[in-house]
Amino acid sequence: MLTIRDLTVTYPSRGQAPITALQNVSLDILKGEIVVALGASGCGKSTLLNTIAGFLPATSGRLELNTHEIKGPGAVRGVVFQKDTLLPWKSVIDNVAIGLVFAGQSRAAARAQAHSLLSLVGLDDFANVAPYELSGGMRQRVGIARALATNPDLLLMDEPFGALDSFTREQMQELLISVWHKTHKTIFLITHSIEEALSLGTRVIVMSPRPGRIVRRYPLDFVKRFSAGESWASIRTDQAFL
Amino acid sequence: MPLYDVIGIKIDPYLNTSQTVSSASAFGLSDGQKTRLISAATIMLFGLAWWALSTYHWVATLFLPSPSDVWEQLLAIVTDGYANATLWDHVGASLVRILSAAAIAFSLAIPIGLSMGLSPWVKGLFDPPIEFYWPLPPLAYLPLMIIWLGIGEASKITLLTLAMFAPICLAAQAGVRGVSEERLHAARSLGANGWQLFWHVILSSALPEILTGTRIAIGVGWGTLVAAELIAATRGIGFMIMSASHFLATDVVFVGIGIIALLVFAFSYSWQKLEVFLVPWKGQE
Ligand SMILES: Nc1ncnc2c1ncn2[C@@H]1O[C@H](COP(=O)(O)OP(=O)(O)O)[C@@H](O)[C@H]1O
Ligand SMILES: [Mg+2]
Repeated sequence: MLTIRDLTVTYPSRGQAPITALQNVSLDILKGEIVVALGASGCGKSTLLNTIAGFLPATSGRLELNTHEIKGPGAVRGVVFQKDTLLPWKSVIDNVAIGLVFAGQSRAAARAQAHSLLSLVGLDDFANVAPYELSGGMRQRVGIARALATNPDLLLMDEPFGALDSFTREQMQELLISVWHKTHKTIFLITHSIEEALSLGTRVIVMSPRPGRIVRRYPLDFVKRFSAGESWASIRTDQAFL
Repeated sequence: MPLYDVIGIKIDPYLNTSQTVSSASAFGLSDGQKTRLISAATIMLFGLAWWALSTYHWVATLFLPSPSDVWEQLLAIVTDGYANATLWDHVGASLVRILSAAAIAFSLAIPIGLSMGLSPWVKGLFDPPIEFYWPLPPLAYLPLMIIWLGIGEASKITLLTLAMFAPICLAAQAGVRGVSEERLHAARSLGANGWQLFWHVILSSALPEILTGTRIAIGVGWGTLVAAELIAATRGIGFMIMSASHFLATDVVFVGIGIIALLVFAFSYSWQKLEVFLVPWKGQE
């Protein structure tokens, strides 16, 4: 579905040699996968995600989503950021509905659809609250609902739970898996936590810095087992997981 | 890590709470209460000094009329008016000038400032004239206003408009520039086109900054008012002060200053209320 071939991204830097953030990265993401990029900070994970999102131009290489070349940002790829980017002057429901309003839907229709997304992330009761009245975890849930509203082919998440406490993070991971189970979305997620990568990924790619590239790829089945009903406790004590 | 915006500085919330607790608990008062208490004491001290200096004639009445003189003069002006016009005529004349200049300045400076923030073309076009004139004190180009526009209302209102224009225009620009890139990216990836980006994201992001700009502008406007009313006015608080000074009527000067102070205070107070109403998210993000 997503095809990346020999992607190189360099940042121009004033006076000095340009920084090569990614070099010759190739990656295929198939429909329904959760591909997790794992790596220390500075190894180009965000650069990769931002290029897929269309925020950054590729310096060289090919980038296609469903055989369409990625030229700029658009609603076919939903993005969830580490820092929430909700609009504080709009209520939670209007934040979730905004992508549909951008697409030309009436406010009422957009809101009706946004309501079902809010219940998907368990926030039915917070529709008319302002985003800044919510906790960090709840805001990220709104962020996920908002990104899903336009029914994107691919969901991009840049350390979405990185700013949350470990308890909330675990809840959010379970929420994400249940969302994935219900919507069958294709997800590309970034983390620097090995445990998070193992818990969420159907496939993990490990990246290394200077220049950023993919050094290892692991297919995994823990998420599928969890979705199939097995408890985290039993998966987490599994030898393979450890 | 969640960060709170305290006095414009990003401070670790844990660090911050421990500090405020220790410093404020010394008197069992919050920092805000303590500041207000000290301010109240200062005001009382000033009042007392004024009363003592004038009542015991340590300073001549010509230089410092006593509080009771000023109060009686105020009552006299309220009942009999000053210079063939009632107090309300004077206040009204000043308000009309300030408000019409503000209306013109707002309606020009906000769209121009926003477009300057959005487009390098518009910025290139307007930057030279604005950068040239805005550091100039209004009194410096006041004579030009008189030569070009005469001594009627037009020159006064134009002077005030020019003085108010720059702070609003610069604030609107800064507001647009200050929109977070992440927020723009997020909206783009939700499918926003240029116009939607402006309407749903940029305008509201810039609003706090614009409101601050308008508040500063109104302050500058009051500051320029006295200068504007030097232009052969027969009405206005600024005129009242200037004319009283010619007759060495210091108590009338005091009344005029007091009225301006009151009006400025009322304006900035209601403007703050307006900000809280329009930008409830300020400082909460
Ligand atoms: N806007 C930028 N300008 C210049 N260099 C950048 C920029 N953004 C990131 N980089 C550099 O690119 C490299 C990869 O960064 P990034 O993709 O943010 O890594 P990660 O998300 O894995 O922490 C780093 O060395 C970083 O310094
Ligand atoms: Mg990153």
